[in-house]
Amino acid sequence: MPREAEPSLNEKQFVIQALQENLRLDGRELEQYRPLELTLGDQYGVADATLGKTRVLAKASAELTVPYTDRPLDGIFTIATELSPMTSPAFELNRPTETEVLLSRLLEKTVRRSNALDTESLCLIAGQKCWSVRVDVHVLSHDGNLIDAACFAVVSALRHFKKPDTSMEGGVLTVYTAAEREPVPLSWLHSPFCVTWSFYGEQGEIAVLDATWLEEQVRVGSCTISLNRHGEICQISKLGGTPVEAVALLQCSAVSLTKVKEFSTYLDEKLAEDAKRRNKGGLLAELSAENDR
Amino acid sequence: MASQIHVNLSPAELAYLHASLSLTPPIRPDGRSPDQYRPLSAETGILPGTNGSARICFADGTEAIVGVKAEVEKTGRRWDDDTIFLEGGGDDEEGGDKEKGSTQQGGNKEWVELTVEIPGQRDDDSATVFLAQMLSEALLADGGFVERLKINRGWHWKLYLDILLISPPLSYPLPLLSLTTHLALLSTRLPRLKSEGDEDPFFDDDWAAAPYLYPRDKKARPPVTLLVMAVGNNIIFDPAKEELAVADVVLAVSVADVADRKGKGVEDEDMDVDGRKLKLLSIRTVDPPSRLTPPGVPNASNTAYGHASAGATQQKMPEARAVESEAVEGVWKAPRGGAKLAVMGALVQKVLQKGGVADEVLDALEAVDLS
Amino acid sequence: MPLDTSTYSLALLRVDGRRWNELRRLHAQIRTQAAADGSSYLEMGHTKVMCVVTGPSEPGPRRGGGIGGGAGGQSKDAEVVVNIVIAGFSSVDRKRRGRGDKRTQEMQSTVANALAASLHTHLFPHSQINVSLHVLSQDGSLLAALINAATLACVDAGIPMTDYVAACTAGSTSTYAANDESADPLLDLNHQEEQELPSLTVATLGDSDRVVVLVCESRVQISRLEGMLAVGVDGCKQVRELLDRVVREKGQRMILEGTVEKGTGLNDLD
Repeated sequence: MPREAEPSLNEKQFVIQALQENLRLDGRELEQYRPLELTLGDQYGVADATLGKTRVLAKASAELTVPYTDRPLDGIFTIATELSPMTSPAFELNRPTETEVLLSRLLEKTVRRSNALDTESLCLIAGQKCWSVRVDVHVLSHDGNLIDAACFAVVSALRHFKKPDTSMEGGVLTVYTAAEREPVPLSWLHSPFCVTWSFYGEQGEIAVLDATWLEEQVRVGSCTISLNRHGEICQISKLGGTPVEAVALLQCSAVSLTKVKEFSTYLDEKLAEDAKRRNKGGLLAELSAENDR
Repeated sequence: MASQIHVNLSPAELAYLHASLSLTPPIRPDGRSPDQYRPLSAETGILPGTNGSARICFADGTEAIVGVKAEVEKTGRRWDDDTIFLEGGGDDEEGGDKEKGSTQQGGNKEWVELTVEIPGQRDDDSATVFLAQMLSEALLADGGFVERLKINRGWHWKLYLDILLISPPLSYPLPLLSLTTHLALLSTRLPRLKSEGDEDPFFDDDWAAAPYLYPRDKKARPPVTLLVMAVGNNIIFDPAKEELAVADVVLAVSVADVADRKGKGVEDEDMDVDGRKLKLLSIRTVDPPSRLTPPGVPNASNTAYGHASAGATQQKMPEARAVESEAVEGVWKAPRGGAKLAVMGALVQKVLQKGGVADEVLDALEAVDLS
Repeated sequence: MPLDTSTYSLALLRVDGRRWNELRRLHAQIRTQAAADGSSYLEMGHTKVMCVVTGPSEPGPRRGGGIGGGAGGQSKDAEVVVNIVIAGFSSVDRKRRGRGDKRTQEMQSTVANALAASLHTHLFPHSQINVSLHVLSQDGSLLAALINAATLACVDAGIPMTDYVAACTAGSTSTYAANDESADPLLDLNHQEEQELPSLTVATLGDSDRVVVLVCESRVQISRLEGMLAVGVDGCKQVRELLDRVVREKGQRMILEGTVEKGTGLNDLD
């Protein structure tokens, strides 16, 4: 199995020592994110998030299927993550590494298990027809903090996504094309975001946000906290690593909340911008044309 | 199927082991007699969440746990009312798979699901699959087993047997797993049926009233699979891994007590032992690890001793082949070819013998307190 | 399926009759198996787990679905490889999980990383510590039970470690939506409570407040976190005491039986 080249001892030493003096290689504060950029695609449900040099593309899609027999009233919602060799030579196709398993579990817990998407609303005819919403996550470039970037991309893609409108009349299900009826957004309940902390030092006393790949390789532990802006924790996972004071973790969660609020506002702005762009001369123009007649 | 337990023994050690096991009587490394089992400790009913469970520890530290879970399942197709239900009528009328005709047996087999988990091995590993196959084969060979799972014409029990090897696989785990499965099935109880006839079944909540799958007052017992090996003409039971490494032939023999089955043409194979009717259910040859052991080099061809000329080393290949083909006294050579018919016969005879090993093992398991 | 927990506010007793800060019965044994380097058996209520440790040993060919953790695979440290087998009969309804199950893989990696943090892996370069865990029965707090059992087995195997890694779960009586202030934190949840209430698993190192593992999989108000964490950390200390007692009792018994010589450092066992 190919492995990622490890940083040299000198490099490691340098990064750690700098962190102990509250300095980061790229001049950021310890609790500062790299600039987060979101590009929403022309198509509904395509979101491209960049965090420094980390870039993740998420694409949401929907198709009609039969619901699972044990959950006839729920639609199907899946998040597919695949880390391709394009990202790093350490990833191989069809052979999930530990990173990949943990990433997909985290997205699953953050977005799916926290009921961010109302799966009941995806059901059209109980036990017979439902929407299957699928989000594909493609990591285009990996420079640390995959989790936060991937989660942001997934949530943005789903918020941006619109599925074809349907109607039920006398037991006949009609699916309208985008030309017939404007597609409808998903029934979205809340927007959770991940905030990943990396810990450094003997006792894990230095907590750093948004670690780069180099910083990730020398950290002694990490903790991902998923929250929404209402202050609800959706998931916390500190899976082993050097022990960290409980009080420090509480502080981390409080700081995470402010970060999540920033993410939330940024996403809302972007979505509003996108809607405005699409609407330019859109529905309004149509309406005015009708009035003219 | 190689019993993948790798033994690191030198050809000299193998030759020594083989020689001492070929003596009459054989001398085993641990001083046991040829048909003596290793001591084991066993307990049942260890998991209240299951229908039946057992745990066995062998003296060498290998340990297994088996849990049995039962679920009520609808039988594929309702029985025709005019089908005559034959009491104990054997496999042919079972399963209600009339349409499938010859595959009726298949319907039955699906009533039992058996999985083996060995730590550190994938569950689709061929060795694991083979183990599971051997164990379930023994169970299903006795048509009486699936018969016990029938509730009425429309319903049956589906039995899930989960076999866990807890310890690292030190020796070939088949006998351990089989004995534990036997014990777990002995302790298995299914809720008492309260409904009558062919109506949808409902059961008594009182677990104390639940009858055993194998009623204690009846003679019938689930099968056990014994591991037997032969070295020369000696037959050795319950071989340890060192002994397996020099075996000429290894057999997995499954036997069961079928005393209460209304016998139909089973007399020929039966041995009447104290009222216990042992029936041979299946025999499988197990590929012994001895076949993969490296051969020893006789002094005559060992260059280190200066016996062989430099020329002989040049023609190494034909020389080496000659060494393999002819046996030299005291030099280890991996066994080639199959077992002698006579040895096989004696082997089976010895298993089924009155007061033989199978009998002894069943007696011992019988004595385990069912809680 | 919402379960009726309304009775809690009346008598302050939980579904199984415990108070908010009570652990379930914790029963543990070490050295349960002769063949292994270290072994343990642990019951937390009805959750039953067995653990077998082999190693530190030469790393064999990588088999099975074990996920390794610890020190980023640097060969100057021993690698901790954890394998979890969840028996099909362990839950009420039989459910078979393949080795590829992501939840199991995540737990494997969590246990491996938690152990790697407390074991002195740097003492065994180029070697591997194999931990195989068997889940025999599940009734909540599974991850906590797995961590505790693995710790005990490592103690039995005699692998040098800084301290016990003890784990337990904590929950809260409020649901995520309810904003009531009267919500009580709860200690050591069973399966029923875990299904319905927000909960988290905490593991701490030794007597300290330092958290090795913190896993929360349910939605909960951030204000609840502090209470839950405090109760969890406190529970871990109780668990640590219980684990320590198990080890000491076994040690004492082994000295009495003459299995081991009484050394000078063992005076405090009396």
